[in-house]
Amino acid sequence: MSTQLRGSILPKWFAVALAGLSIGSAVMIERTTSVAGVGGTITLAVLLYLVLQTTWSFTVEGRRHAIDRLFATLMYSSFVIAALPLATLIWTVVSKGIKELDMNFLSHSMRSVSPSKPGGGVYHALLGTLEQVGIATLIAVPIGILTALYLVEYARGGRLAKAISFFVDVMTGVPSIVAGLFIYTAFVLTFGFDRSGFAAALALTILMLPVIVRATEEMLKIVPADLREASLALGIPKWKTILRIVLPTAIGGIITGVMLAVARVAGETAPLLLTTFLSQSINQNPFAGPQAAIPTFIWDQISSATPASLDRAWAGALTLILLIMVFYGTAKLIARYYAPKA
Amino acid sequence: MKITRIAIATVAIATTLSLTACGSDNNASSSASAPAGGVTGALKASGSSAQKNAMAEWVNAFQTANPGATIDYQANGSGAGVQDFINAQTDFAGSDSALKPEEVAGAAARCAGNNAIDIPMVGGAIALAYNIDGVDSLVLDPKTTAGIFTGKITKWNDPAIAALNAGVALPAATIASFHRSDSSGTTDNFTKWLIATTPDTYTLAGGKDWVAPGGQGAKGSDGVASSVASTKNSIGYMELSFVQTQNLKAAKIDNGGGAVEATSDAAAKTIAAATVKGTGNDLALNIDRTVADGASYPIVLVTYEITCEKGLDAAQAALVKSFLTYTSSDEAQGALSGAGYVPITGDLLTKVRASVAAIS
Repeated sequence: MSTQLRGSILPKWFAVALAGLSIGSAVMIERTTSVAGVGGTITLAVLLYLVLQTTWSFTVEGRRHAIDRLFATLMYSSFVIAALPLATLIWTVVSKGIKELDMNFLSHSMRSVSPSKPGGGVYHALLGTLEQVGIATLIAVPIGILTALYLVEYARGGRLAKAISFFVDVMTGVPSIVAGLFIYTAFVLTFGFDRSGFAAALALTILMLPVIVRATEEMLKIVPADLREASLALGIPKWKTILRIVLPTAIGGIITGVMLAVARVAGETAPLLLTTFLSQSINQNPFAGPQAAIPTFIWDQISSATPASLDRAWAGALTLILLIMVFYGTAKLIARYYAPKA
Repeated sequence: MKITRIAIATVAIATTLSLTACGSDNNASSSASAPAGGVTGALKASGSSAQKNAMAEWVNAFQTANPGATIDYQANGSGAGVQDFINAQTDFAGSDSALKPEEVAGAAARCAGNNAIDIPMVGGAIALAYNIDGVDSLVLDPKTTAGIFTGKITKWNDPAIAALNAGVALPAATIASFHRSDSSGTTDNFTKWLIATTPDTYTLAGGKDWVAPGGQGAKGSDGVASSVASTKNSIGYMELSFVQTQNLKAAKIDNGGGAVEATSDAAAKTIAAATVKGTGNDLALNIDRTVADGASYPIVLVTYEITCEKGLDAAQAALVKSFLTYTSSDEAQGALSGAGYVPITGDLLTKVRASVAAIS
């Protein structure tokens, strides 16, 4: 048998068997010494697996296979470590939030609900978030997309374009509380408007703008120049080329960028605390009077710190995640619908 | 293509509209046919987080009685509440301390040149909750408390603690003390008590931020309460309501006249005995924290509602007056102790009602 071309290879079931062996022995060690907790046992099992696999593979398959297996395992574990926080977060929110989340929760406000008693709901906050984020989107999307169009289509590398790009980058780094403070001092204190859902929408606009400009700019840049040239060569004016050729080609990416911006601001708490006045009642008018939002609803319920209000806070968090998922799903559908058929 | 677009838009608009229409503010379980009360309008107030839950209960009761009225209270902290009031963002502020001299001018400007008044409305007791296995009753005095929270007393069986607790089997364990990590009126009033009663042992500065060395910080009274609940041989200060919600045990306090249990009634005695240092209808209080009559619980805090005596819009003034008249009623004050707060009682309550009646 020494005339084989291939060296000996460990069988396919080896990895599974070894994993079972490592977990088994890690649990045994934990049982007998009882020093490590659950986390320690898992770490121990992974380390055991790495060491055993490498030595085994080294003796049977040789050095190259051993290193290959070692790094493959390390890469898989890195993926698991990266995905673990997300998985636990979703699990925690869903398991704690599902208890209170029902139609009554979605269709009632917190008006006249005692913090220590169950009942009430998120409706007033849901409505507030939809209106505030909606207004912010209405303002930020046209400004953002037109800015990006100017940067890419008209001002190729001019001085003004460089300045705009620079300040958009600066805006990306503005902490959300600063945006809230700015609107609070400018809009509320200086001009004397009341705090309202609209003030919150203005603060959210500041946060959305740079994300939209950046995303749209990147998308427009990857539209092939051939398309523009072909269109222009047929005698089509520039504005029509942009409207009918460039934008539709990039629409999928632009919508994704807009959705990222929406998802970012829908969960913002800090600017809302300064610009809206928390309310427990339904206020359909974003331009006058206190208005709630889901993030401030969660904050408010947590600071009441009774078991019933904590349940409501978790259900509110779950509502927010679901809302953003619905936004994202709808946007993906719209993007697919408008994208040019290849 | 065009038709599909229109269809999508129609569906989107219809969804939004139906969503706007289906919500309800009505959370009343049975009293849906309550008689419509007299007052209508919207009030905004903000400030102290200490009175958040008391305010919520009062607002609920008031709104149920007056379906046309809406009151929103934002618990953003005493300092922010006073600033909101001065900036005319709110109709009244809730604050754990009376208006400071530097805030008076701004408040007067807010009230169109009239005085802003401090009206004590919600009392609170600060309890020292502990978690020691097998110890059901613990007595502390100002000196031992200061010693524990400044790190001078480190063991539960320290002779100073044992002397106060004859017959209690104190463990030889290290004391884990918890304090507030955030700026808070609870810390302010707790250190005021230490400074008033035992200035020799507690030589540090008072104020809203905890400055003593040692111990561990936790955010909010709820944070301190859950830390004490989960740590053996620990102690921490928090508002009384948190002792109840977390099922903790609170130490009795001996100010020199005998050990007093931390109860709403015992704290109400201390607050009722406070002297008014404000003038006219301003009821800023001087609380005697050294009280040692064996019946008054000395570690208390008082939350004031701050509003204009005169100078608010007529409509807002009427609404503020109506609401504060309700909160100073026997019914509203009586509901406080059940929620872990301390009611205002006796002569002080009479003065509070007189001040509220003066709002116009």
